[in-house]
Amino acid sequence: MKRSIFLAVATAVVLVPLTVSGQDRPTRWQRRGQPTAIPVTVFHSTQSANLPTAETLAGGEWLFEISHRFGLIDSGTGGFYGLDGPVVNRFGLAFAPTDRLLIGVLRSNAFDNVELGAKARLFDSGGAVPVIVAVAGGIAWNTQAPEGDPGFEDNETQAYAQVILNALVGGRLAVGVVPSWVRNPDPFATTADNALAIGLNGQIYLSELVSLFGEWVISDEQAGLGHDTGSFGIELETGGHFFKLLVSNSQRMNPSQVLSGTSSPVAANQLRFGFNITRILTF
Amino acid sequence: MRPTNRGGRAIVLAALTGVFAAPPLAAQEYQVDLNAERTVRFISRASIEEFDGVTDKIDGYVLIDGPALSADVGGDDTEIYLEVDLASIDTGIGLRNRHMRDNYLEVQRYPYASYRASIVRVTAGPGGAFRVDSRGAMTIHGVTRPVEIPCDVTPEARGYRARCSFQVLLTDYQIEIPSIMFLKLSNEIRLELDFAVAAVGGGGPQ
Repeated sequence: MKRSIFLAVATAVVLVPLTVSGQDRPTRWQRRGQPTAIPVTVFHSTQSANLPTAETLAGGEWLFEISHRFGLIDSGTGGFYGLDGPVVNRFGLAFAPTDRLLIGVLRSNAFDNVELGAKARLFDSGGAVPVIVAVAGGIAWNTQAPEGDPGFEDNETQAYAQVILNALVGGRLAVGVVPSWVRNPDPFATTADNALAIGLNGQIYLSELVSLFGEWVISDEQAGLGHDTGSFGIELETGGHFFKLLVSNSQRMNPSQVLSGTSSPVAANQLRFGFNITRILTF
Repeated sequence: MRPTNRGGRAIVLAALTGVFAAPPLAAQEYQVDLNAERTVRFISRASIEEFDGVTDKIDGYVLIDGPALSADVGGDDTEIYLEVDLASIDTGIGLRNRHMRDNYLEVQRYPYASYRASIVRVTAGPGGAFRVDSRGAMTIHGVTRPVEIPCDVTPEARGYRARCSFQVLLTDYQIEIPSIMFLKLSNEIRLELDFAVAAVGGGGPQ
Protein backbone atom coordinates (compact mmCIF):
# COMPACT_ATOMS: atom_id res chain seq x y z
CA MET A 1 0.00 0.00 0.00
CA LYS A 2 2.81 2.36 0.83
CA ARG A 3 4.26 1.73 -2.58
CA SER A 4 0.94 2.64 -4.22
CA ILE A 5 0.69 5.89 -2.33
CA PHE A 6 4.28 6.68 -3.22
CA LEU A 7 3.48 5.99 -6.87
CA ALA A 8 0.50 8.34 -6.81
CA VAL A 9 2.46 11.15 -5.21
CA ALA A 10 5.37 10.69 -7.56
CA THR A 11 3.06 10.73 -10.54
CA ALA A 12 1.47 13.95 -9.41
CA VAL A 13 4.79 15.59 -8.61
CA VAL A 14 6.25 14.74 -12.00
CA LEU A 15 3.26 15.26 -14.28
CA VAL A 16 1.45 18.25 -12.84
CA PRO A 17 4.36 20.65 -13.46
CA LEU A 18 4.56 19.30 -16.98
CA THR A 19 0.94 20.20 -17.49
CA VAL A 20 1.48 23.75 -16.32
CA SER A 21 4.54 24.30 -18.45
CA GLY A 22 2.79 22.70 -21.39
CA GLN A 23 -0.04 25.19 -21.17
CA ASP A 24 2.43 28.05 -20.99
CA ARG A 25 4.19 27.20 -24.22
CA PRO A 26 4.96 23.73 -25.41
CA THR A 27 6.79 24.91 -28.53
CA ARG A 28 10.50 24.92 -29.13
CA TRP A 29 10.50 27.75 -31.67
CA GLN A 30 12.63 30.77 -31.01
CA ARG A 31 13.27 33.71 -33.30
CA ARG A 32 16.09 32.89 -35.66
CA GLY A 33 18.10 35.94 -36.69
CA GLN A 34 17.95 39.67 -36.16
CA PRO A 35 15.65 42.14 -37.91
CA THR A 36 16.96 43.41 -41.23
CA ALA A 37 19.31 46.36 -40.81
CA ILE A 38 17.78 49.61 -42.01
CA PRO A 39 19.98 51.49 -44.49
CA VAL A 40 21.31 54.82 -43.27
CA THR A 41 19.69 57.82 -44.94
CA VAL A 42 20.55 61.50 -44.50
CA PHE A 43 19.42 63.43 -47.58
CA HIS A 44 16.63 61.64 -49.38
CA SER A 45 17.69 62.73 -52.85
CA THR A 46 20.99 62.12 -54.61
CA GLN A 47 21.49 65.85 -55.11
CA SER A 48 20.63 69.21 -53.68
CA ALA A 49 20.06 72.04 -56.16
CA ASN A 50 23.52 71.60 -57.67
CA LEU A 51 25.63 69.87 -55.05
CA PRO A 52 25.69 66.11 -54.75
CA THR A 53 24.56 64.40 -51.58
CA ALA A 54 26.03 61.16 -50.29
CA GLU A 55 22.82 59.32 -51.12
CA THR A 56 22.99 56.70 -53.85
CA LEU A 57 20.41 54.40 -55.37
CA ALA A 58 19.61 50.75 -54.86
CA GLY A 59 21.71 48.51 -57.06
CA GLY A 60 20.24 48.11 -60.53
CA GLU A 61 18.26 51.34 -60.49
CA TRP A 62 18.47 54.16 -63.02
CA LEU A 63 17.94 57.86 -62.45
CA PHE A 64 16.71 60.22 -65.13
CA GLU A 65 16.90 63.95 -64.60
CA ILE A 66 15.67 67.04 -66.35
CA SER A 67 16.48 70.44 -64.89
CA HIS A 68 15.96 74.05 -66.00
CA ARG A 69 17.25 77.44 -64.94
CA PHE A 70 15.28 80.35 -66.36
CA GLY A 71 15.99 84.02 -67.00
CA LEU A 72 16.08 86.71 -64.34
CA ILE A 73 12.98 87.01 -62.20
CA ASP A 74 13.66 90.72 -62.29
CA SER A 75 12.64 90.79 -65.94
CA GLY A 76 9.10 91.25 -64.64
CA THR A 77 5.95 90.66 -66.63
CA GLY A 78 7.74 91.46 -69.91
CA GLY A 79 9.94 88.39 -69.53
CA PHE A 80 7.29 86.56 -67.53
CA TYR A 81 9.62 86.68 -64.54
CA GLY A 82 12.32 84.87 -66.43
CA LEU A 83 10.17 82.00 -67.56
CA ASP A 84 10.33 83.28 -71.17
CA GLY A 85 14.00 82.39 -71.10
CA PRO A 86 16.63 82.05 -72.24
CA VAL A 87 16.65 78.72 -70.46
CA VAL A 88 19.57 76.58 -69.51
CA ASN A 89 18.54 72.97 -69.39
CA ARG A 90 20.21 69.81 -68.30
CA PHE A 91 19.50 66.17 -68.92
CA GLY A 92 21.05 63.47 -66.83
CA LEU A 93 21.09 59.71 -66.71
CA ALA A 94 22.73 57.69 -63.97
CA PHE A 95 22.95 54.02 -63.11
CA ALA A 96 23.71 52.26 -59.84
CA PRO A 97 25.71 49.04 -60.41
CA THR A 98 25.57 48.50 -56.65
CA ASP A 99 23.91 50.12 -53.66
CA ARG A 100 27.04 52.18 -53.08
CA LEU A 101 28.09 53.30 -56.55
CA LEU A 102 26.44 55.66 -58.99
CA ILE A 103 27.79 56.47 -62.44
CA GLY A 104 26.23 58.85 -64.88
CA VAL A 105 26.32 61.42 -67.63
CA LEU A 106 25.07 65.01 -67.55
CA ARG A 107 24.53 67.22 -70.55
CA SER A 108 23.78 70.93 -70.31
CA ASN A 109 23.25 73.39 -73.11
CA ALA A 110 25.51 75.90 -71.31
CA PHE A 111 28.51 75.56 -73.65
CA ASP A 112 27.11 72.12 -74.45
CA ASN A 113 28.82 70.85 -71.34
CA VAL A 114 28.94 67.06 -71.18
CA GLU A 115 30.14 65.40 -68.00
CA LEU A 116 30.87 61.83 -67.04
CA GLY A 117 30.79 61.39 -63.29
CA ALA A 118 30.73 58.83 -60.53
CA LYS A 119 29.88 58.81 -56.85
CA ALA A 120 30.85 56.17 -54.31
CA ARG A 121 29.45 55.81 -50.82
CA LEU A 122 32.40 54.97 -48.60
CA PHE A 123 31.12 54.96 -45.06
CA ASP A 124 27.89 55.29 -43.16
CA SER A 125 26.92 55.17 -39.55
CA GLY A 126 23.51 55.11 -37.90
CA GLY A 127 22.71 56.11 -34.35
CA ALA A 128 21.53 59.44 -32.98
CA VAL A 129 23.29 61.42 -35.72
CA PRO A 130 23.50 59.33 -38.88
CA VAL A 131 26.54 60.14 -41.00
CA ILE A 132 27.44 59.21 -44.57
CA VAL A 133 30.73 59.90 -46.32
CA ALA A 134 31.03 59.66 -50.08
CA VAL A 135 33.37 60.78 -52.83
CA ALA A 136 32.48 62.01 -56.29
CA GLY A 137 34.41 62.97 -59.35
CA GLY A 138 34.10 63.52 -63.05
CA ILE A 139 35.44 64.89 -66.25
CA ALA A 140 33.68 67.45 -68.44
CA TRP A 141 33.93 68.66 -71.98
CA ASN A 142 32.62 72.04 -73.11
CA THR A 143 31.86 71.07 -76.65
CA GLN A 144 30.46 74.35 -77.94
CA ALA A 145 33.00 77.15 -78.15
CA PRO A 146 31.74 80.72 -78.05
CA GLU A 147 32.10 82.55 -81.36
CA GLY A 148 35.53 84.09 -81.85
CA ASP A 149 37.16 82.48 -78.83
CA PRO A 150 39.77 80.05 -80.13
CA GLY A 151 41.37 79.75 -76.68
CA PHE A 152 38.24 78.07 -75.41
CA GLU A 153 38.53 75.38 -78.02
CA ASP A 154 42.02 74.50 -76.80
CA ASN A 155 41.00 74.46 -73.17
CA GLU A 156 37.63 72.87 -73.12
CA THR A 157 38.21 69.94 -70.75
CA GLN A 158 37.52 70.21 -67.05
CA ALA A 159 37.63 67.78 -64.12
CA TYR A 160 36.52 67.80 -60.53
CA ALA A 161 36.67 65.76 -57.35
CA GLN A 162 34.60 66.07 -54.20
CA VAL A 163 34.35 64.65 -50.72
CA ILE A 164 30.77 64.59 -49.45
CA LEU A 165 30.13 64.67 -45.72
CA ASN A 166 26.47 64.40 -44.74
CA ALA A 167 24.83 64.19 -41.31
CA LEU A 168 21.26 64.06 -40.06
CA VAL A 169 20.50 66.09 -36.95
CA GLY A 170 17.36 65.55 -34.94
CA GLY A 171 15.88 63.23 -37.51
CA ARG A 172 14.74 66.05 -39.80
CA LEU A 173 17.67 68.37 -40.55
CA ALA A 174 20.20 67.09 -43.07
CA VAL A 175 23.43 69.03 -43.45
CA GLY A 176 26.30 68.61 -45.86
CA VAL A 177 29.82 69.86 -46.45
CA VAL A 178 31.39 69.22 -49.84
CA PRO A 179 35.07 70.19 -50.19
CA SER A 180 35.80 70.24 -53.91
CA TRP A 181 38.64 70.59 -56.37
CA VAL A 182 38.23 71.77 -59.93
CA ARG A 183 40.70 71.43 -62.73
CA ASN A 184 40.49 74.23 -65.28
CA PRO A 185 37.68 76.24 -63.68
CA ASP A 186 37.81 78.85 -66.45
CA PRO A 187 37.75 77.28 -69.89
CA PHE A 188 38.02 80.80 -71.38
CA ALA A 189 41.57 81.01 -70.10
CA THR A 190 44.32 79.82 -72.40
CA THR A 191 45.95 77.71 -69.72
CA ALA A 192 44.44 75.26 -67.27
CA ASP A 193 44.44 76.07 -63.59
CA ASN A 194 43.26 74.50 -60.35
CA ALA A 195 40.67 75.86 -57.95
CA LEU A 196 39.07 74.87 -54.71
CA ALA A 197 35.49 75.24 -53.60
CA ILE A 198 33.46 74.30 -50.58
CA GLY A 199 29.81 73.45 -50.88
CA LEU A 200 27.50 73.79 -47.92
CA ASN A 201 23.97 72.49 -48.03
CA GLY A 202 21.08 71.81 -45.70
CA GLN A 203 17.59 70.45 -45.95
CA ILE A 204 14.83 70.30 -43.39
CA TYR A 205 12.20 67.62 -43.87
CA LEU A 206 8.83 69.02 -42.86
CA SER A 207 6.87 65.88 -43.69
CA GLU A 208 7.30 62.69 -45.66
CA LEU A 209 6.54 64.69 -48.81
CA VAL A 210 7.80 68.21 -48.32
CA SER A 211 11.16 69.67 -47.41
CA LEU A 212 13.02 72.96 -47.75
CA PHE A 213 16.61 73.10 -48.90
CA GLY A 214 19.42 75.56 -49.39
CA GLU A 215 22.97 75.41 -50.63
CA TRP A 216 25.92 77.72 -50.94
CA VAL A 217 29.05 77.06 -52.98
CA ILE A 218 32.06 79.11 -51.92
CA SER A 219 34.33 79.32 -54.96
CA ASP A 220 37.73 80.66 -55.87
CA GLU A 221 37.21 83.87 -57.79
CA GLN A 222 37.69 83.48 -61.54
CA ALA A 223 37.65 86.09 -64.28
CA GLY A 224 34.00 86.77 -64.97
CA LEU A 225 32.97 84.22 -62.35
CA GLY A 226 33.54 86.21 -59.22
CA HIS A 227 30.60 85.18 -57.08
CA ASP A 228 29.53 82.27 -54.97
CA THR A 229 26.45 80.31 -55.94
CA GLY A 230 23.40 80.23 -53.71
CA SER A 231 20.24 78.24 -54.30
CA PHE A 232 17.13 77.81 -52.17
CA GLY A 233 13.95 75.90 -52.74
CA ILE A 234 11.32 73.38 -51.85
CA GLU A 235 11.41 69.68 -52.60
CA LEU A 236 8.48 67.33 -53.06
CA GLU A 237 9.15 63.61 -53.04
CA THR A 238 7.00 60.71 -54.05
CA GLY A 239 7.63 56.99 -54.41
CA GLY A 240 9.99 57.49 -57.33
CA HIS A 241 10.24 61.23 -58.05
CA PHE A 242 11.89 64.28 -56.57
CA PHE A 243 10.58 67.67 -57.65
CA LYS A 244 12.73 70.65 -56.69
CA LEU A 245 11.47 74.17 -57.27
CA LEU A 246 14.11 76.75 -56.51
CA VAL A 247 15.67 80.17 -57.00
CA SER A 248 19.36 80.58 -57.72
CA ASN A 249 21.84 83.19 -58.88
CA SER A 250 23.46 80.64 -61.19
CA GLN A 251 22.09 79.61 -64.52
CA ARG A 252 24.71 76.91 -64.90
CA MET A 253 24.18 73.58 -63.19
CA ASN A 254 26.82 71.02 -64.04
CA PRO A 255 29.39 70.39 -61.28
CA SER A 256 32.43 71.74 -63.13
CA GLN A 257 30.48 74.91 -63.85
CA VAL A 258 28.92 75.53 -60.45
CA LEU A 259 32.15 74.82 -58.57
CA SER A 260 33.91 77.47 -60.68
CA GLY A 261 31.63 80.27 -59.45
CA THR A 262 29.04 82.39 -61.16
CA SER A 263 28.88 85.78 -62.77
CA SER A 264 26.31 87.47 -60.60
CA PRO A 265 25.82 87.83 -56.85
CA VAL A 266 23.03 86.43 -54.74
CA ALA A 267 20.83 89.53 -54.90
CA ALA A 268 17.12 90.07 -55.43
CA ASN A 269 17.61 91.30 -58.98
CA GLN A 270 19.93 88.42 -59.93
CA LEU A 271 17.83 85.43 -58.97
CA ARG A 272 16.25 82.98 -61.38
CA PHE A 273 13.60 80.36 -61.07
CA GLY A 274 14.56 76.79 -61.72
CA PHE A 275 13.57 73.22 -61.20
CA ASN A 276 15.11 69.78 -60.99
CA ILE A 277 13.00 66.71 -61.61
CA THR A 278 14.42 63.25 -61.11
CA ARG A 279 12.74 59.92 -61.67
CA ILE A 280 14.01 56.57 -60.47
CA LEU A 281 13.57 53.87 -63.07
CA THR A 282 13.80 50.11 -62.88
CA PHE A 283 13.78 47.73 -65.79
CA MET B 1 -16.26 -3.09 9.19
CA ARG B 2 -15.88 -2.69 5.53
CA PRO B 3 -12.41 -3.28 4.31
CA THR B 4 -10.72 -0.38 2.52
CA ASN B 5 -8.38 -0.56 -0.40
CA ARG B 6 -6.21 2.52 -0.07
CA GLY B 7 -3.63 1.12 -2.45
CA GLY B 8 -6.21 0.69 -5.22
CA ARG B 9 -7.50 4.24 -4.76
CA ALA B 10 -3.99 5.57 -5.00
CA ILE B 11 -3.46 3.79 -8.28
CA VAL B 12 -6.71 5.17 -9.67
CA LEU B 13 -5.66 8.62 -8.52
CA ALA B 14 -2.31 8.23 -10.19
CA ALA B 15 -3.95 7.08 -13.40
CA LEU B 16 -6.37 10.00 -13.43
CA THR B 17 -3.56 12.41 -12.71
CA GLY B 18 -1.67 10.95 -15.61
CA VAL B 19 -4.64 11.27 -17.95
CA PHE B 20 -5.31 14.91 -17.15
CA ALA B 21 -1.71 15.96 -16.77
CA ALA B 22 -0.35 14.53 -19.98
CA PRO B 23 0.22 16.93 -22.91
CA PRO B 24 -2.14 16.63 -25.90
CA LEU B 25 -1.78 13.24 -27.46
CA ALA B 26 0.99 13.25 -30.04
CA ALA B 27 1.03 17.05 -30.40
CA GLN B 28 3.37 18.06 -33.17
CA GLU B 29 5.21 21.30 -33.68
CA TYR B 30 6.10 22.53 -37.14
CA GLN B 31 8.43 25.44 -37.76
CA VAL B 32 8.74 27.60 -40.83
CA ASP B 33 11.35 25.89 -42.99
CA LEU B 34 14.05 28.48 -43.56
CA ASN B 35 15.69 26.24 -46.15
CA ALA B 36 12.61 26.12 -48.34
CA GLU B 37 11.32 28.85 -50.63
CA ARG B 38 9.27 31.47 -48.80
CA THR B 39 7.44 34.48 -50.15
CA VAL B 40 5.39 37.14 -48.45
CA ARG B 41 3.89 39.53 -50.97
CA PHE B 42 1.74 42.56 -50.37
CA ILE B 43 -0.10 44.03 -53.29
CA SER B 44 -1.21 47.65 -53.42
CA ARG B 45 -3.62 48.66 -56.14
CA ALA B 46 -3.98 52.43 -55.84
CA SER B 47 -5.62 54.53 -58.51
CA ILE B 48 -2.33 56.06 -59.65
CA GLU B 49 0.07 53.20 -59.23
CA GLU B 50 0.12 49.51 -58.54
CA PHE B 51 3.06 47.82 -56.92
CA ASP B 52 4.05 44.78 -54.94
CA GLY B 53 6.31 44.41 -51.94
CA VAL B 54 8.10 41.13 -51.42
CA THR B 55 10.16 39.52 -48.72
CA ASP B 56 11.20 36.02 -47.74
CA LYS B 57 11.75 36.93 -44.10
CA ILE B 58 8.89 34.99 -42.54
CA ASP B 59 9.38 32.78 -39.52
CA GLY B 60 7.26 31.10 -36.86
CA TYR B 61 5.64 27.84 -35.94
CA VAL B 62 2.45 25.82 -36.04
CA LEU B 63 1.43 23.51 -33.21
CA ILE B 64 -1.28 20.96 -33.94
CA ASP B 65 -3.05 18.51 -31.65
CA GLY B 66 -2.05 15.43 -33.52
CA PRO B 67 0.92 13.97 -35.34
CA ALA B 68 -0.24 15.22 -38.71
CA LEU B 69 -2.86 17.48 -40.23
CA SER B 70 -6.32 15.97 -40.49
CA ALA B 71 -9.94 17.01 -40.30
CA ASP B 72 -9.79 16.26 -36.57
CA VAL B 73 -7.19 18.93 -35.92
CA GLY B 74 -8.32 22.24 -34.49
CA GLY B 75 -9.31 24.10 -31.38
CA ASP B 76 -7.52 25.65 -28.46
CA ASP B 77 -4.78 23.03 -28.44
CA THR B 78 -3.53 24.31 -31.77
CA GLU B 79 -1.41 27.39 -32.16
CA ILE B 80 -0.04 29.39 -35.05
CA TYR B 81 2.56 32.10 -34.74
CA LEU B 82 4.01 33.80 -37.79
CA GLU B 83 6.08 36.96 -38.03
CA VAL B 84 7.42 38.96 -40.96
CA ASP B 85 10.51 41.15 -40.86
CA LEU B 86 9.09 44.37 -42.29
CA ALA B 87 12.38 46.15 -42.97
CA SER B 88 13.21 43.47 -45.52
CA ILE B 89 10.26 44.28 -47.81
CA ASP B 90 11.40 45.18 -51.29
CA THR B 91 9.01 47.14 -53.50
CA GLY B 92 11.41 47.31 -56.42
CA ILE B 93 12.45 50.93 -55.82
CA GLY B 94 14.83 51.82 -53.02
CA LEU B 95 13.19 55.18 -52.39
CA ARG B 96 9.77 53.57 -52.08
CA ASN B 97 11.21 50.98 -49.71
CA ARG B 98 12.39 53.81 -47.50
CA HIS B 99 8.97 55.45 -47.64
CA MET B 100 7.39 52.15 -46.61
CA ARG B 101 9.84 51.67 -43.77
CA ASP B 102 9.95 55.20 -42.43
CA ASN B 103 6.63 56.80 -43.26
CA TYR B 104 4.10 54.00 -43.12
CA LEU B 105 5.31 50.95 -41.23
CA GLU B 106 7.75 52.77 -38.90
CA VAL B 107 9.88 49.68 -38.73
CA GLN B 108 12.37 51.12 -36.28
CA ARG B 109 9.58 51.06 -33.67
CA TYR B 110 7.67 48.08 -35.04
CA PRO B 111 10.11 45.77 -36.83
CA TYR B 112 7.72 42.81 -37.16
CA ALA B 113 4.20 42.11 -38.28
CA SER B 114 2.90 39.06 -36.47
CA TYR B 115 -0.08 36.72 -36.46
CA ARG B 116 -1.01 34.61 -33.46
CA ALA B 117 -3.96 32.29 -33.92
CA SER B 118 -5.46 28.87 -33.49
CA ILE B 119 -6.86 26.56 -36.11
CA VAL B 120 -10.62 26.76 -36.39
CA ARG B 121 -11.26 24.15 -39.03
CA VAL B 122 -9.38 21.76 -41.27
CA THR B 123 -11.14 20.57 -44.38
CA ALA B 124 -9.68 17.73 -46.37
CA GLY B 125 -9.45 18.27 -50.09
CA PRO B 126 -8.36 16.24 -53.09
CA GLY B 127 -4.87 14.86 -53.38
CA GLY B 128 -4.08 15.05 -49.69
CA ALA B 129 -4.53 18.81 -49.62
CA PHE B 130 -6.28 20.68 -46.85
CA ARG B 131 -8.04 23.94 -46.37
CA VAL B 132 -7.01 25.33 -42.99
CA ASP B 133 -9.02 28.17 -41.48
CA SER B 134 -7.45 29.99 -38.58
CA ARG B 135 -8.64 32.79 -36.37
CA GLY B 136 -6.47 35.04 -34.27
CA ALA B 137 -4.86 38.43 -33.92
CA MET B 138 -2.69 40.31 -36.41
CA THR B 139 -0.29 42.92 -35.10
CA ILE B 140 1.06 45.54 -37.50
CA HIS B 141 2.45 48.96 -36.63
CA GLY B 142 1.88 48.22 -32.94
CA VAL B 143 -1.87 47.71 -33.44
CA THR B 144 -3.52 44.33 -32.88
CA ARG B 145 -6.71 43.40 -34.70
CA PRO B 146 -8.72 40.17 -35.01
CA VAL B 147 -8.20 38.42 -38.32
CA GLU B 148 -9.26 35.18 -39.97
CA ILE B 149 -6.88 33.70 -42.50
CA PRO B 150 -7.62 30.78 -44.83
CA CYS B 151 -4.72 28.76 -46.18
CA ASP B 152 -4.44 26.02 -48.75
CA VAL B 153 -2.06 23.41 -47.38
CA THR B 154 -0.36 20.57 -49.20
CA PRO B 155 1.86 17.89 -47.68
CA GLU B 156 5.58 17.85 -48.42
CA ALA B 157 8.37 15.51 -47.43
CA ARG B 158 9.28 17.33 -44.22
CA GLY B 159 5.95 18.92 -43.42
CA TYR B 160 3.53 21.09 -45.35
CA ARG B 161 3.45 24.03 -47.72
CA ALA B 162 0.91 26.72 -46.95
CA ARG B 163 -0.45 29.32 -49.35
CA CYS B 164 -2.57 31.98 -47.70
CA SER B 165 -4.28 35.04 -49.08
CA PHE B 166 -6.18 37.72 -47.24
CA GLN B 167 -6.72 41.46 -47.12
CA VAL B 168 -6.03 44.13 -44.52
CA LEU B 169 -6.89 47.80 -44.33
CA LEU B 170 -3.96 50.01 -43.40
CA THR B 171 -6.24 52.36 -41.53
CA ASP B 172 -7.17 49.47 -39.21
CA TYR B 173 -3.57 49.53 -38.09
CA GLN B 174 -3.31 53.30 -37.77
CA ILE B 175 -1.10 53.60 -40.82
CA GLU B 176 -1.87 56.98 -42.27
CA ILE B 177 -1.57 57.63 -45.96
CA PRO B 178 -1.21 61.23 -47.20
CA SER B 179 -4.49 62.23 -48.79
CA ILE B 180 -3.04 64.43 -51.52
CA MET B 181 -2.22 63.96 -55.16
CA PHE B 182 0.89 61.91 -54.44
CA LEU B 183 -1.13 59.06 -52.94
CA LYS B 184 0.26 55.89 -54.43
CA LEU B 185 -0.40 53.42 -51.66
CA SER B 186 -3.78 51.79 -51.43
CA ASN B 187 -5.54 51.47 -48.11
CA GLU B 188 -6.55 47.96 -49.12
CA ILE B 189 -3.54 45.68 -49.11
CA ARG B 190 -3.76 42.09 -50.27
CA LEU B 191 -1.30 39.80 -48.53
CA GLU B 192 -0.16 36.53 -50.04
CA LEU B 193 1.95 34.10 -48.06
CA ASP B 194 3.69 31.06 -49.45
CA PHE B 195 5.90 29.12 -47.08
CA ALA B 196 6.74 25.64 -45.88
CA VAL B 197 6.73 24.26 -42.36
CA ALA B 198 8.87 21.33 -41.29
CA ALA B 199 8.11 18.98 -38.43
CA VAL B 200 10.23 19.41 -35.33
CA GLY B 201 11.81 16.20 -34.11
CA GLY B 202 11.29 14.22 -37.23
CA GLY B 203 7.52 13.80 -37.12
CA GLY B 204 5.28 14.94 -39.88
CA PRO B 205 2.72 13.82 -42.36
CA GLN B 206 4.66 10.92 -43.85
